[in-house]
Amino acid sequence: MWWFIGKRLIQGLITVWFIATATFFAMHNVPGDPLLNDRATTPIIRANLEAKYGLDKPLLTQYFIYLNNIAHGDFGISFAQENREVNDIIREHFPVSAILGVLAVLIAAVGGILWGSLTALYRNRMPDYIIMFLVILGISVPSFVIAALSQLGIVTINQLLGINFLPVAGWGTIYHMLVPALVLGLSTMAYLTRLMRSSMLEIVYSDFVRTAKSKGVPPARIFARHQLRNAVLPVITVLGPSIAAITTGGFVVEIVFAIPGLGRFFVEAVQQLDYTVIMGTTVFYGAFLVFMVILVDVIYGFIDPRVRLS
Amino acid sequence: MSEMAHKAESSVPLLVVENLHVEFDTYGGTVQAVRGVSFSIEVGKTLAIVGESGCGKSVTVQSMMGLIPMPPGRITAGSARLKGNEILGRHIIKGRDIRGSQIGMIFQDPMTSLNPTMTIGDQIAEPLQIHRGYSHAKAFKEAINLLSMSKIPEAAKRARQYPFEFSGGMLQRAMIAMAIACKPSILIADEPTTALDVTIQAQILDLLQDLQKETGMAVILITHDLGVVARMADDVAVMYAGKIVEQGSVDDIFYRSAHPYTLGLKLAMPTNDPAKQHKLNPIEGSPPDLFSPPPGCGYCPRCPYAMEICDRQQSDLIALSGHHASRCWLHHPEVTQRPEDLTYAEGQR
Repeated sequence: MWWFIGKRLIQGLITVWFIATATFFAMHNVPGDPLLNDRATTPIIRANLEAKYGLDKPLLTQYFIYLNNIAHGDFGISFAQENREVNDIIREHFPVSAILGVLAVLIAAVGGILWGSLTALYRNRMPDYIIMFLVILGISVPSFVIAALSQLGIVTINQLLGINFLPVAGWGTIYHMLVPALVLGLSTMAYLTRLMRSSMLEIVYSDFVRTAKSKGVPPARIFARHQLRNAVLPVITVLGPSIAAITTGGFVVEIVFAIPGLGRFFVEAVQQLDYTVIMGTTVFYGAFLVFMVILVDVIYGFIDPRVRLS
Repeated sequence: MSEMAHKAESSVPLLVVENLHVEFDTYGGTVQAVRGVSFSIEVGKTLAIVGESGCGKSVTVQSMMGLIPMPPGRITAGSARLKGNEILGRHIIKGRDIRGSQIGMIFQDPMTSLNPTMTIGDQIAEPLQIHRGYSHAKAFKEAINLLSMSKIPEAAKRARQYPFEFSGGMLQRAMIAMAIACKPSILIADEPTTALDVTIQAQILDLLQDLQKETGMAVILITHDLGVVARMADDVAVMYAGKIVEQGSVDDIFYRSAHPYTLGLKLAMPTNDPAKQHKLNPIEGSPPDLFSPPPGCGYCPRCPYAMEICDRQQSDLIALSGHHASRCWLHHPEVTQRPEDLTYAEGQR
């Protein structure tokens, strides 16, 4: 098992290096440069500035300086915001995105497994039809529509009750997190529900479930000990990419609910050609996702002995 | 009927199945998979149910155990009484599930019949925890005993392993250990050796026989392998198109075959006797469509001895001797001339 984790970590490092390299060269090839917006640049001033920031050095040298800085955890200073290091931006705003994302992933995973199992056990009966209808709705309606509608819902409920039952937007308490996390996790939950349903249906008619019945195992115990653990494997597999989708896709929800997360800075940096922030957040997100996928692999290894031992 | 006579002369049978009918609803219509099967089995005996694929032999035992999915499956008639208690359509008797405690079962494909994410030991321990209320530790210890009873070396180590670390033969041994964990009075073996290679087959059959001697359980053996039948069975029921066409002792079936289908099966067996012809003798044609079973004998289109009546009406099981019976008009008292192939001699009736 330790060998398995070590191997995955080394693979992860290589992936992060690849992301960093690709980001660097992609940014280098984007039209425009950092000094483009300064009005009073004569060629001489420009050359001086380039010499000062090392932009006149050969591309490969710049690349190695960049790699060296990243290796020391230094992503540089923002080009668009005064006197702010990229590290500060990440430190301040990533925890907000992370809490929102983790909550959303939890809701999506638990909900997906629960609804998926339910639809499989009630296949072609009322609960199945109702849930599958909602699932299609959840997959096809974009999150900003659901976000806006849920805000409208909160307002209506607050008015009807006459108290502030749930905050409409903002950040701070657990009540601020619930609705955004639910909205953010909804489409993933819908996707996982479908996956869980088909995987559960396969398990329900599998030989080993028949064996469990022939041993006289009561249905509840068959579900918990024989069906769930085997049916959940494909869901765990896609959980890694789902975390990616949720954390990077969070900025829409963050904007609608006025949540100070990292996603907004990521998008704004691209619009403002804020080179260091783009590269910093991209590499950071990349590393985070790679780590999540490794975590999922390790969890998978604990659930499925075949992965752990081979 | 001969069956009744048989009952009278021996102890009360352990399990009596009467007139079992099972249907399946499919998109193509309703399949009548089992059409009135009756048999009984006594303590410590082995009953083999033989027949080709799709003749309803697996459905017969699985419907008894409540293992066919309902719907689309449906038991339309019949009864199955275990020690006098009706078990058809329900499997809880006096608050206890008879499955795993009174009737154990092993299946055709050991590779897929065990839970891939549970250790072998835990899976064997499970029925003990459920039916006997053992603690996990006690049940697991007993599971190790059962594994060594099933002749698995290093049982203590093996019990902590997962199914993917076992070979097919080893898995079937583990299945057997699991099925006999609570000392059931009947073990149903649904084609236990079909998925295994020949040398392993022999070992598994030996193991079954040894365990049967030790525990005194009855065995219902489903198979399409006449070699297995000859080796294991006390009694045999030959099934064709959802019905039993011949039943009797193993000697009756092999030496005094009375139904043309049994005879066909026997002739189709390959032989290594140099005096005999080495060409295979298959039974030509295929079994009838069970969506709309024929009114007459299902074997009629393939039968070399078919008569006019066979097409219109199927015979009842006609008693021959002891509990040997055949579902064929050739044994009707009014038939005066019988083909010589049917070695069942005149006057033995």
